[in-house]
Amino acid sequence: MTIAIALSSGVSALMLVLFLVLPSVSSPTVPFGVRVPAQRVDDPTVRGQTRIYRWRVLALGMVSAVVGVVIYGLTGKPFLLPLPVLMVVGVWFGCYFPANHKIRVAKTAGSWYEGLHEGIAVDTELRTDPPRFPWLWLAPALIVTVATMVIGVITYPSMPEMLVVHHGANGAPNRLAAKSVGTAFSLVFLQMGMTALLAGFAAGIFFGSRSDIDPGRPVSSARWHRRYMSLGAKALLGLAAMIDVGMMSSSLLMWTGTVISWAPLVVALPILVAVVVAVVVLARNNFTRDEDEEVTGLTHRDDDMYWRGGLFYVNPEDHALVVPRRFGLGWTLNFGNPWAAMLLVAVVALAGLLVTLRFGG
Amino acid sequence: MILNVDLASDVPIYQQIRDRIVEAIADGVLTEGSPLPATRALAADFGVNFHTVNKAYDLLRQQGLVRLNRKTGAVVTPTVADPPFRAEWTARARTLLAEAVAKGLPADGVLKTCESVLSSFGSDLSEGTP
Repeated sequence: MTIAIALSSGVSALMLVLFLVLPSVSSPTVPFGVRVPAQRVDDPTVRGQTRIYRWRVLALGMVSAVVGVVIYGLTGKPFLLPLPVLMVVGVWFGCYFPANHKIRVAKTAGSWYEGLHEGIAVDTELRTDPPRFPWLWLAPALIVTVATMVIGVITYPSMPEMLVVHHGANGAPNRLAAKSVGTAFSLVFLQMGMTALLAGFAAGIFFGSRSDIDPGRPVSSARWHRRYMSLGAKALLGLAAMIDVGMMSSSLLMWTGTVISWAPLVVALPILVAVVVAVVVLARNNFTRDEDEEVTGLTHRDDDMYWRGGLFYVNPEDHALVVPRRFGLGWTLNFGNPWAAMLLVAVVALAGLLVTLRFGG
Repeated sequence: MILNVDLASDVPIYQQIRDRIVEAIADGVLTEGSPLPATRALAADFGVNFHTVNKAYDLLRQQGLVRLNRKTGAVVTPTVADPPFRAEWTARARTLLAEAVAKGLPADGVLKTCESVLSSFGSDLSEGTP
């Protein structure tokens, strides 16, 4: 119980910190998901809304995290474990949306785009000499998965007849199942699924993405985009490896019949570490944009109409499957692309599998 | 190579793409054998219809600046200015210079602009002269 509460509070705190720094690590020309010309990044509305957003996130986020943890602590219901995190996300959206709305209103009222030359920039070298997919980064995830499988096959005869397939919030095993290939290797199947999914996302960044280059500073923007592609793919493959490590450790505990009170941490810690490292690396890359380029006089075109709420990209005419997120870190799907729907189904199916493994039965 | 398209310009997008590629060849950014992106890839990057890019590439092919190949895609080719091109180009230059004269720009200023534009191109100009 204590470990679960600590984990939940830790994740909520991390998300709070991320939400607080988001405006600083996102592109200054897309404050709160609204495309604004470079001349307007320091507009009083933008500055004011950023300040209000930070205060709101800090105050409401802390309150909601504490309330969520207390509710979970009092009831002890396992399905309430994600409550604090969900509440922090809800609060974040409640703070984000008014800022997005106010800036959009100010932009329309002040006709911020009037008289500007909107343009599109493309770096042809991203096509003729594309960055190379970091294949080597796929190796750790594959090695860990194969190693887990091999260990499982070798030790299968000596495994206990009843396997612990679920731990309670206090770390004590609360569900057992008879030994079978399905139960013993459930986490190995999960490893395979997660590795394939995340490697698929990484491949999507490299082979199904569209660059979004700032026509005002195209050269440095294209350089940034190259780094971002490579870092994004490495972060996903690194995350896959760490998830596999968590599953491997958890499988080893199950196969040897070892009972430890901090069993949930075995899975959660490697994943948390990987996520934090990925976020820090991507945020640093966003933060250090080189500004030493002559401006071309062009402004990024106003593409707000394709971004629902400034967060979800829906453009059926765009063939790209993934595009860089405008507000926030990483990449986002083009929900106008039919493949995006299929990917979503795959993710939901995997999440369903996860939930049935942990809570079902 | 960075290709910039100005959406507020009166010049059609296919013409702008074609013009930027010609400038890149003059600048030496694109040299003989440099590949250009596939039509569909470039169109996707610009978010325009692939016919637009097709049109630009077709113009470049007609002028003998690129070679279109099913397997290798569009590739920059070596060119020699033939007499018909010289005549056609002179006619276009005539219109452009006439605009300057009609607007009252002084002749030496026009010449200086021509010289500075020519010298700003990075590629080796002496190669093409007979």
